[in-house]
Amino acid sequence: MNPGWALLQIFIFPGFLFTFAVAMIFAWVDRKVTARVQWRVGPPFLQPLYDLVKLLGKEVIVPAGGAKTLFLLAPLVGLAAATVASMLVWQANIWPESGFVGDLIVAVYLLTIPSLSVVLGGFASNNRLASLGASREMKMILSYELPFILCLVVPIINAGGAIRLGEMLAVESSPVHHISGILAFIVAILCMQAKLGLVPFDAAEAETELMSGPFVEYSGAPLAIFRLMRSMMLFVMPVFLVTMFWGGVGAGGGVLAVILGCLKIVLLLVVVILLRNTNPRVRIDQAVGFFWGPWVAGVGVVAVILALLGM
Amino acid sequence: MKGREEIIAKIKDSLGKKALSVFEAKPNRLYVSIGPENITGAVKLLFEELLGRYVILTGIDTPAGIEVLYHFSFDGADLVVTLKVLLDKENPEAESITPIIKGAEWIEREIHELLGVEFSGHPNMKRLILAEDWPAGVYPLRRSFNGKAE
Amino acid sequence: MGLKLKALCKSPWIFHVNTGACNNCDIELVDALTPRFDVERFGVLLVGSIRHADVLVVTGGVTRQAGPRLKRLYEQAPKPRLVVACGTCACTKGIFHDGYHMVGPVDEIVPVDIYIPGCPPKPEAIIDGIVKLIRKVA
Repeated sequence: MNPGWALLQIFIFPGFLFTFAVAMIFAWVDRKVTARVQWRVGPPFLQPLYDLVKLLGKEVIVPAGGAKTLFLLAPLVGLAAATVASMLVWQANIWPESGFVGDLIVAVYLLTIPSLSVVLGGFASNNRLASLGASREMKMILSYELPFILCLVVPIINAGGAIRLGEMLAVESSPVHHISGILAFIVAILCMQAKLGLVPFDAAEAETELMSGPFVEYSGAPLAIFRLMRSMMLFVMPVFLVTMFWGGVGAGGGVLAVILGCLKIVLLLVVVILLRNTNPRVRIDQAVGFFWGPWVAGVGVVAVILALLGM
Repeated sequence: MKGREEIIAKIKDSLGKKALSVFEAKPNRLYVSIGPENITGAVKLLFEELLGRYVILTGIDTPAGIEVLYHFSFDGADLVVTLKVLLDKENPEAESITPIIKGAEWIEREIHELLGVEFSGHPNMKRLILAEDWPAGVYPLRRSFNGKAE
Repeated sequence: MGLKLKALCKSPWIFHVNTGACNNCDIELVDALTPRFDVERFGVLLVGSIRHADVLVVTGGVTRQAGPRLKRLYEQAPKPRLVVACGTCACTKGIFHDGYHMVGPVDEIVPVDIYIPGCPPKPEAIIDGIVKLIRKVA
């Protein structure tokens, strides 16, 4: 493909600008639904944008003794990874034939990088609280990545062993129509909650305990980039899950299919928000035990076995 | 659980001769004035023998001297006993009761910081509530304190 | 700086500092952040780290121990930043005026932008103060 076309895809649609715009909308939906659940009114529609613009105008303070380059680069790395992951997933949805073999694996890797960039940023801060938050985030990554990959095996088996995102949309029956798919989908939703760093699995960023954990020393533009990265992940993860498990957006053609696909994404977002608002935070050891225990990893293994058996 | 009459009788028995005065303000409120040399003995009697509950210490700067009050409560018998010890104004010294009652450690530190009472035998006499840069030797709750940290 | 302050007024993130208050003002301030008053409508968020803060809300007359720490906190907040003195003690030391342990009301340690009197100020008064601050700055 010619470079101009690729650049357009990365920066405008479905890359940076598109993801940025929808991420702002999703962040607002998150805060509005949270407010409604608490019988409040909630912030105005442009509030996430106001937050971003305000943060861009604040002074950037780099902590003395910290690793300066790493401190400033970590948010950019995370943002780039989230952008490219979004572009890959949307590309597979809109032009299913244009992916390459293995782009599923690339997408999974890219989706891990934002959490890693948070860990890097936390350790580069020369602050005990940030290090504690970053080490907790590392433990969380170790705990939820295993069941996440396990439950991603189920759609791969369902698609006959193909590891191309476009192939996931070409199957006759998407995984949610099978028992194994439903189990894997539920496990994936729990892992998504932890990946997004939301209650009940936000032990890394516990505001009341750790004063924002790894983000303690961030201010101004790097903090804005981190927040934007998290909003983008809030957008990309549901799209990825819908692509893998629920038939994607627009598969089958026609405006109705696109609208249905978008509704599926919004439904996943609402599930995430409601989970966030109705649960207390779990301790880090409880979270690790939960993800490695029978209720998540065990169910994932059962789902893979059922998928292999054809159910 | 001993009854109130029993406890008051026991206190008057053991401390009666050594005490400077025993005053029953109300049927359930007893004040015993003792000299500073009898503090440990009286506290051991009230805390270990009669199993009273240690409540708190109070420090007062009175015209006669600096007074330290030791309050003990006998909840089952509905009785509160207070030991009053009058110390010299210039050089207030008393034995620390922290070796007997661990819970008295902080209040003795506070009385030392604010009134200047020296508690001998205190295991951990460090600054507790005054600011780190407050000058030593200036005791804010004494009547002679002039309001400035000089 | 004008545009930055205008953006700040649309999303003021507050950080709460207690420099030796009796806690009444803190209770009323935390009450103002509950869903009943819903200050998130104005973009107000309580942040956990001083580096994320735009507005420092200071309660309490400043004690001798808290004075240097308040100054350090003020310097740690990234510019542009505003300071709100919440409660009579923060404005004028209140009933602790002649206390031996007070080094002065907040405006002798850090520059204050708005004073909210009251002992303690009601949550409505606190919100009114923040609104007046936003009107003054924007």
